[in-house]
Amino acid sequence: MKAVLKKYTLTVVSIVSIAATVLWLFGLGWTLQDQFSTNKKVSQFKEKTDSTSTEKQDGTLTIFALGDSLTRGTGDADGKGYTGYLTERLKEKTDQDINLLNTAIKGETSRGLLKQLQQSEIQRQAKQADVIVMTIGGNDLFQQGAALENLDNNAINGKKQIYLSNVKKIYTQLRELNPDAVIYHVGLYNPFSNMPDSKTTSSIVRDWNFQSAETAAGFNNIVYVPTFDLFQLQVENYLYTDQFHPNTEGYKLIAERVASLIKFEQEENES
Amino acid sequence: MINLVRNEMLKLLRKKRLYVIILIIAFLVPLFTYAQFKEIQDQREKMGNQDWRTTLQQEITDTQNRLSSSRIQDEWRKFLKIRLSQQQYYLENDIDPRAPGAPTFMRIFVENSIDLLLPLLVMVIVADLVSSESSGGTIKLLLTRPVKRWRILLSKYLAMLLSISFIVLSVAVLSYGISGVVFGYGGWNMPLLTGFTVSGDELLTENVHIVPQWQYILMEFGLVWYVCMIVGTLTFMLSVLLRSTAAVMGIMLASLIAGAILANMVSSWESAKYFFMVNLNLTNYVSGMATPIEGMSLGFSMSVLAVWGIAGFIIAFVTFSKRDIY
Repeated sequence: MKAVLKKYTLTVVSIVSIAATVLWLFGLGWTLQDQFSTNKKVSQFKEKTDSTSTEKQDGTLTIFALGDSLTRGTGDADGKGYTGYLTERLKEKTDQDINLLNTAIKGETSRGLLKQLQQSEIQRQAKQADVIVMTIGGNDLFQQGAALENLDNNAINGKKQIYLSNVKKIYTQLRELNPDAVIYHVGLYNPFSNMPDSKTTSSIVRDWNFQSAETAAGFNNIVYVPTFDLFQLQVENYLYTDQFHPNTEGYKLIAERVASLIKFEQEENES
Repeated sequence: MINLVRNEMLKLLRKKRLYVIILIIAFLVPLFTYAQFKEIQDQREKMGNQDWRTTLQQEITDTQNRLSSSRIQDEWRKFLKIRLSQQQYYLENDIDPRAPGAPTFMRIFVENSIDLLLPLLVMVIVADLVSSESSGGTIKLLLTRPVKRWRILLSKYLAMLLSISFIVLSVAVLSYGISGVVFGYGGWNMPLLTGFTVSGDELLTENVHIVPQWQYILMEFGLVWYVCMIVGTLTFMLSVLLRSTAAVMGIMLASLIAGAILANMVSSWESAKYFFMVNLNLTNYVSGMATPIEGMSLGFSMSVLAVWGIAGFIIAFVTFSKRDIY
């Protein structure tokens, strides 16, 4: 009996193995044919694309954050940034689920952001948003803290013009994608306000902020949130060791300010 | 000839090695399934029950942020950049490369085991195919038969081929069967992209096309089988050359592990790409990952492996037919 069983196993294993060999050889051949023959195209796979949900989810508040390192949270010990603290604050105030989508990239300039906004996935997320928060411009102006050593008015004016035209395009694009969500554009502070040249730098930043706010005012529901005053005094207490990005305390200040604005918005809706 | 192969297969089955290997796989697969399951769960917890697009986008942004940091190794930056453009491409084509399912698990499992785990399992079978006959003395009995020596060796080689096919098949069946319990058995028709070419730190996409997952898996298993055959042939050669099974195992083990280590650090030593063990990761070419050394491609790696394999095969047969047995 045992011998019969053995023989049987042997036959089965052999046949299965031979079949497997053929299968794997076929797979190998297919790989060669597939990988080494060219000029195939990604065929029309697009049909299914539109099933993508662009509808807003009910019951959840979707915050779409975009911009540069400030939105990313560089310098915060917990890595949350103001968007993280903002979400925490809002959670205390509402029963709604809050969904935070953060697409910010460190070192992003207005030009980079404009380019990022052309990506279909970013656009989809922008459409879903109930609230949009962004920071942009810091890298246009400061270029990682280096540029302000050169206080040449012409150079700064040139940068400002480019920035303003980009920001205008960003606003337009966002409004086209999502006509309803309020956009909170968090403004610049002066990280160098305790440096010797603070008078000049502060005036540059103030002017920058003013122009941005003016641009924002040309659109519906875009709030340019000032932060200049938050950091004006005691700037050293609110900056991270790089003397450029906010630290945890600094981010909390920004978050608080934005949170208060969002709350106001909701109460108005309810009444 | 068929009877000779049959005889060798019988010997193999008697040794119960195949069962051991199946047991090993059957033990490992649930382990990885659980790990994968945990990962998915963890991600869900972190991100909420979100669209995969959002998750993938988040990953892309995270990668972009890592890339913008200046304290990052060149090697790693290259890898990230390539993965980034690939993820972007997947996103643009609206394809989720990680939709959970047993076929996806199979694919990921096999991609990760091609360079070490599977060659090791193959080695377990092949290492003593010939050397045990020498050390046990049965080789004399075998060779007193009125059969040409090369036919005896060929029958052993064919038995090896069959058992490698069998091992690869059991990996496929077991990983599908076991992981399906958790992830579900669907997803064979999911589209995947292949045909990426890596050049420097750029990802070229002009040859990219879509294949259904079942074809993708079949292709990867074909490559896995090829790699196993080469590793098997080399082990086979050593088994002919050396009498001690332990020595065979030791050498193969050392070179396989050396390959895994080398792949991480040879990027500036170009000629290392002619070692067989740095070329084992063939599935990476199908999925479009960065190569360990510049200038490697699927064709290149397969040819290098083929050269090693053929050389091993010839050495084995020549030595075996010329050797004095005493």
